[in-house]
Amino acid sequence: MSGSNVWSRTREKLQRFPELFAECSFEAAAYGKCVAATTTSKQEIKKDLCAKEFEALKTCFTNAAKKRCK
Amino acid sequence: FLSSQNGVHLILGVFLRARLHVPFSGSRSRTWLRPWTCLSLGSPVSPGPLVRALSSQSGGPGLNVFDRQMKRRQREWAAAQSDAAQFEYIREEVRKYHILTFPLALDLGCGRSFIAEHLTTKRLRHSEISSRCILADEEFLPFKDDTFDLVLSSMSLHWVNDLPGALRQVWRVLKPDGAFIAALPGGDSLYELRCSLQLAQTEREGGFSPHVSPLTAVTDLGNLLGRAGFTLLTVDTDELQVHYPGFMELLTDLKGMGESNCAWNRRLLLHRDTILATAAVYKEMYGNPDGSIPATFDLLFMIGWKPHDSQAKPAKRGSATVSFGDLSKISPPKTS
Repeated sequence: MSGSNVWSRTREKLQRFPELFAECSFEAAAYGKCVAATTTSKQEIKKDLCAKEFEALKTCFTNAAKKRCK
Repeated sequence: FLSSQNGVHLILGVFLRARLHVPFSGSRSRTWLRPWTCLSLGSPVSPGPLVRALSSQSGGPGLNVFDRQMKRRQREWAAAQSDAAQFEYIREEVRKYHILTFPLALDLGCGRSFIAEHLTTKRLRHSEISSRCILADEEFLPFKDDTFDLVLSSMSLHWVNDLPGALRQVWRVLKPDGAFIAALPGGDSLYELRCSLQLAQTEREGGFSPHVSPLTAVTDLGNLLGRAGFTLLTVDTDELQVHYPGFMELLTDLKGMGESNCAWNRRLLLHRDTILATAAVYKEMYGNPDGSIPATFDLLFMIGWKPHDSQAKPAKRGSATVSFGDLSKISPPKTS
């Protein structure tokens, strides 16, 4: 496959993941702590247990992506 | 040491992609990769004989875990990348542990001929030992019985469908008193990745699917080798921990090594939310103080020998001449 196609564009977007992720280390740590807490506590991990923290992380991530695009 | 008379002739065979001679690309720096071994290697591993196994396309129960065609395509893709050399640090680390002194040897899944080049004094990709490359499947060994003095396999047996069958095939192509030396990643490899994916996927999607392929446990190796007919077994483990800047770099490297998942039961899509969640969980649960994340490769080494009369046999029952009870009577040697 040559030229710009959906695969090359997706791959380019994915390659920007590390730098965007680095901008949201605070939210990522909060989400990570919430999930990691289930391994030590009696609470079993369920869907959307840490939805709030994840929404914060995702918002930060998409904002970082929009900023970089500009 | 090399045998003085014949030199060492190595057949580089049975690997899933063509042998390429790719120059090192210097564009990407490797300073962010800091591999270090946790333990020093113990006794050398006995190779087990590889037995020819029939790989089935449509699953026999339990014998068809991996899509071998996919694995071949993944390995060919990885070898064809211009920067393929950067992803080979694991293989380079493992091949340091192989020591050989045999006239005719077979290197299974040799990738870009790591073991052969280590046999020479110079560290080149290009091997100076006379060798031939054969493109073949690890589960079908196109050789007659009793051909090889030594069969080697480094970091490729974890993608074989019928491992007992493959070991039996190796046993078949080995000469009596031949050796089989192998290394492969074992049960605990990439446990950080596995756990992070499991937790993140459960939290985001409500369930999880296996992403890391099934790996052999060290306790099973002895049984596998014994059932294939090997004697004088030696099994050893080593842990190799590599630090990565982040989750995506780890995945990129695994893909560059040709180690992407090819199990039939793999899910083909990883949701982007799950990727984000996994990166966060991985970093929080396992991250190092400097921000990098570790990935553990649990390496299993094994050596097995094809039986031969010259090999030492276990002593007969009842032939002991001293008793264990006498141990207490032994006094420590006097140090002068």
